[in-house]
Order: sequence, then structure tokens, then C-alpha cells
Amino acid sequence: MALEKCMAAIPEFLSKAELLKQGAEARVYRARFLGRPTIVKERFRKQYRHPLLDEKLTHRRTVQEVRSVLRCRRAGISVPVVYFVDYSSHSIFLEEIVGSSTVRDHIASSPPSARCEGLEPLAERVGQVLARMHDEDVIHGDLTTSNMLLRCGPEDGVSELFLIDFGLSYISALPEDKGVDLYVLEKAFLSTHPHTEALFQRLLKSYAAASKKSSAVIKKLEEVRLRGRKRSMVG
Amino acid sequence: MHLTHELELFPGHKVTQMLFTEVKNAAELRQCAVEGKINGALINPTMLVNPFQVLVAANKAVNSQNNGKMKTRSLYSEIIFNLSPTNNISEAFKRFGCSDGDDSVLVVFIHNEDESQLLADLTARVSGRQVPVEEVSSLTDHAKVKKLYKVTQEEEKSGTLLDAVVCRMAAKDVM
Repeated sequence: MALEKCMAAIPEFLSKAELLKQGAEARVYRARFLGRPTIVKERFRKQYRHPLLDEKLTHRRTVQEVRSVLRCRRAGISVPVVYFVDYSSHSIFLEEIVGSSTVRDHIASSPPSARCEGLEPLAERVGQVLARMHDEDVIHGDLTTSNMLLRCGPEDGVSELFLIDFGLSYISALPEDKGVDLYVLEKAFLSTHPHTEALFQRLLKSYAAASKKSSAVIKKLEEVRLRGRKRSMVG
Repeated sequence: MHLTHELELFPGHKVTQMLFTEVKNAAELRQCAVEGKINGALINPTMLVNPFQVLVAANKAVNSQNNGKMKTRSLYSEIIFNLSPTNNISEAFKRFGCSDGDDSVLVVFIHNEDESQLLADLTARVSGRQVPVEEVSSLTDHAKVKKLYKVTQEEEKSGTLLDAVVCRMAAKDVM
């Protein structure tokens, strides 16, 4: 039985899929794959880079993303299931978490007055999940509230917290890297959600309680905070 | 009874699965497969959790064939290889391929037209009872699957066994 070769199978498929967003690194599509709602992340070629270098870099980033997702999954962290990876088009086909909203939207839509109190349980859970992730030595690399999804459970309303977008992630045991990961979240959190310092503190407390290696990480976080822009490096 | 799904990435390529129990001629079937007389892959259903698992393996096989990057010699052996969490081809066949003493078998084949003739040919060859493909989940040997795929306890709490299996199949080349 002859199978017609079609080198452009995936690009062809993506041209008909719904483009959700385009970043500097990749395009994200939504489609149906093997009968399931799927998100496809395609890392496209950068024409300005030397082709060999581009290929190596893009391949490495794709590999790191897949490894981090699998590593998180093994640790019991809710992440999308990877259905398929194509290394020639650098595309990752992942489970679409249907019926979810970002933590960002969740926080933004809650009334400002009751914000800190009502969202404390959420902050605690995020802290716990991040602690679990860092204990597995996975550095997310792009922690923001837009990269965390909440999917409502059936009746009792217990929602599941998902981490997504491991495109900048890598494996590291260094407290420095974990501290920076938290710092990135802190900056993103406080700039996206004004007046939520107490909420973030709750998150950090929960993180510290849940992680075995947290003291070194928190210490590094404090050091990193001192390093930022417009900071005096007088130590 | 049987399940057919057209691969979204490869229009025209349809994957059909058939499940049989009370199989009496597993040895003969395996021999036919080895000789290339059967146009399909014979899989041991106790290692399967869900028909979706087979679709994932089949999709990856067709993609590899398309790119000229298959690790095995044929499309059907590639499907069996893709089911395995390891890169050892003979081990994949031993564990996921049908063995002489098996009393159930799942057959998968890839075609582009109407499958009725192929279905009839296969049904005639298998000495057993055809059951709906969805019933494969009742044949699953959960303990064996968990052990082979090295599914952790935490993983089982946060996701399904199918999730764990599919993820490992998809990430095999880089882990």
C-alpha cells in the first residue's frame, strides 16, 4: 500500500488550525488531534540566525520543554499531557485543558476588597505546587499567573491547578536558579495584580512550608531582590 | 465493533483497530504476521489501557515513515515499537507484540479506503470472538503496565494511567 510522502504534513495541518497566539519563539494553535482538543506549540525557524545554530537551539529548547513536562508529571504536578512531538517541525502537541481559566484572570476578576482573604487558599496551593516542582529540580523559567490554569472540578468545586508553558524551563538543583524563578513570579505577580503583597507573602510561606530545601532558596530570593534594577549593591 | 480514525495530520490515512478474545490460533497469526501475510500489527491487549494509546503509536509511526526516520523495518513493527517505553526493539515485540499463547489480540491496520474488505479478511483469519475495541480497558493488566512504564504513585493520584503512558510514549526519544 503506497503512502504518499508529504513533507509538509504538519505545516499543512497547522495552516488550517486556529492560531491562538504568536510569541517571539513559537506559535500556539488550537486543533483537534486524534479526536481530542489539543494545543500545538510550533517553534518556528528564525531566519536571522545561522541555520545550523537555529536548528540546534530550537531542538534543544523543544527537548527541554518536553523533559520538564514529563518530570513534573512524574512528581504528581498537574501539567498537560504530551501527545506527540515532531522534531522536524519542532512542534509539541499537548492536551488542551478545557474549561479552565488562568490564575491571572481569576485574581483579576475577584472583588478588590475581598481579594487578599478570598484568594489565600489559592496562594497556598500555588506555593505548594511550586515547592513540589522545585524539589524535583525543575526550573519553570517563566512563572507568571498567566501560565497557571485553574480547572473547576465537577460538583464540589475543588479546582485543579495546572502549570503550563515550560518553554524556558530547565533542570537545576541550584537554590540560585530556584530563587530567580520565584523572583520572576514575584515581579510578574506584583505588577499584574497591584496591592497583593500579602497574598504573595502567603504564597512564599506556603512554599517554604512545603519544600524541604526552601530555606536556601528563600535566602537566595532575598539576595536576588537586592540585585535588581535601581538597587544599591551595598551589602 | 471496530474503531476507525482518520489521522488529522495525514488525511487519507485511516487507522482501524479490531479486538478479539477467546483467540485459539495466536501462534498461527503471529507466524503469518512475521511472514508478512497479514497487513496489520498484532498487539497484546493486556498491555493496552485504551484505544487512544494505539492511535498515538500509529500517528507517530506514520510520521516517522513520512520523514524517513523509522527505527524499525516496517510501519507495523514501528507501531509496536512506539508503544514501548524503551528503545529496545526486540523487547518491544516481546512485550507488546502478540505471543503464541495469548488468548486475546488487538489488530491495527492503516489504510486509505473503505475497510470492509480488510475487516472481513481479518475476521476470517482470527479464530476467536470479536468484541468492541473499547473493551480493551477491561483486559488491561494494570500492575504490569504500571511496572513497565514505571508510573509513580504521585502520578497516579494526579492523572490517569492513560495520561502517564501516552506522555512517556511521546517523550521517549528524549528521555
